[in-house]
Amino acid sequence: MRALTAAAIGLAAATALVLIVTAVGTPAGETSPEPLLTTVPGPKK
Amino acid sequence: MRRRASLVLLALAVFFAALSPLLRWYAFPRLAKVPPGQYQEVVMEAKPATLLDYSTLRAERVERLTIVQTLKGNVEESEKIERGTGRDVVVWDSLSHVQGPDGAMVSQIPERYIFDAHSQAPVHAPGETVDGTPVRRDGIQFKWPFLTERRDYSYFDAQTRTAAPIHYRGVRAFRGLDVYYFEQTIPWTKVPFPKKMPIPGIDASTLEKTTGTTRWYTTRRMFWVDPATGAPVNGEEIHREELRGGTLLGGRDRVTAFAGHVKMRPDYVDHTVELVKSQRPLILLLTSWLPRTFLALGGGLLALSLLLEARARPRTLAAGAETAPAPL
Repeated sequence: MRALTAAAIGLAAATALVLIVTAVGTPAGETSPEPLLTTVPGPKK
Repeated sequence: MRRRASLVLLALAVFFAALSPLLRWYAFPRLAKVPPGQYQEVVMEAKPATLLDYSTLRAERVERLTIVQTLKGNVEESEKIERGTGRDVVVWDSLSHVQGPDGAMVSQIPERYIFDAHSQAPVHAPGETVDGTPVRRDGIQFKWPFLTERRDYSYFDAQTRTAAPIHYRGVRAFRGLDVYYFEQTIPWTKVPFPKKMPIPGIDASTLEKTTGTTRWYTTRRMFWVDPATGAPVNGEEIHREELRGGTLLGGRDRVTAFAGHVKMRPDYVDHTVELVKSQRPLILLLTSWLPRTFLALGGGLLALSLLLEARARPRTLAAGAETAPAPL
């Protein structure tokens, strides 16, 4: 019974961690102010 | 004490063993996505090229033709479409600016490509266009999905405005990366004139109707794709365009409008390879390195937990036997 409880705690913790990380996600960011280019840019650094 | 430690180790073993598949098959598909605000430009060149001089309507050999392609993520539009579709969506506004050797514009084709941020599958929403004309993309464009598979994909061709298979041709070594090589051939197809062309006073949208001259195009498109990120690290096209028939050609059957082998400029190849090499570890971390490490760790901890349990058990039993009441 104790072993089952320990396993359930481990499983619940892993599931909770993954759910939290995926729910937080990644920030959307913003549209770049750079224009769509109509000239040939110089060498890329 | 040992039993308590073995239980803690068991909980940790289950934690890491469960984390392994959860990370790979639950978290990764949700976390890996193309950022909606990405801005990227690439310069491609055909050196030399054959180009139509629109003042004389004769094809000339030129030293170089340059194509500047910009992709700009439109965050406001993607959020608007996300509200309607309930999916993570990326909207790329792109412009292909074609420039002759004298720096003059040859053509400009704007596009709006809307796709799922996770799978890169096209999403259909108002505003999906090529050169201002609504289109419905059935294939990928510009980028392959994360964890690209060794199979043919459907790839959208902006000139014909249709999707056609792009064939997987095998693994190639490219600048220290093992990449997948894809190839697509578009046979001679009649295509619309670009709305922006270097012919003053001519409305490109009615050019075919008024002159009877048509524009035809064929290409062999090649991509070297990093399978982890799905990002092409190199691209080439053997591209030909012709104008055929009508009054514009002065009785000639056909003239070459453009012919050349278009390749990415070397500095952009270097930049793209470096960018991909910096992003690859993040994908591999979530899909391979962490899941495998966690699985091994879970197995190791489980073994340790069982070992401790096995060592603790005989003592407990022995202790239990000592304290048990003697049979009557």
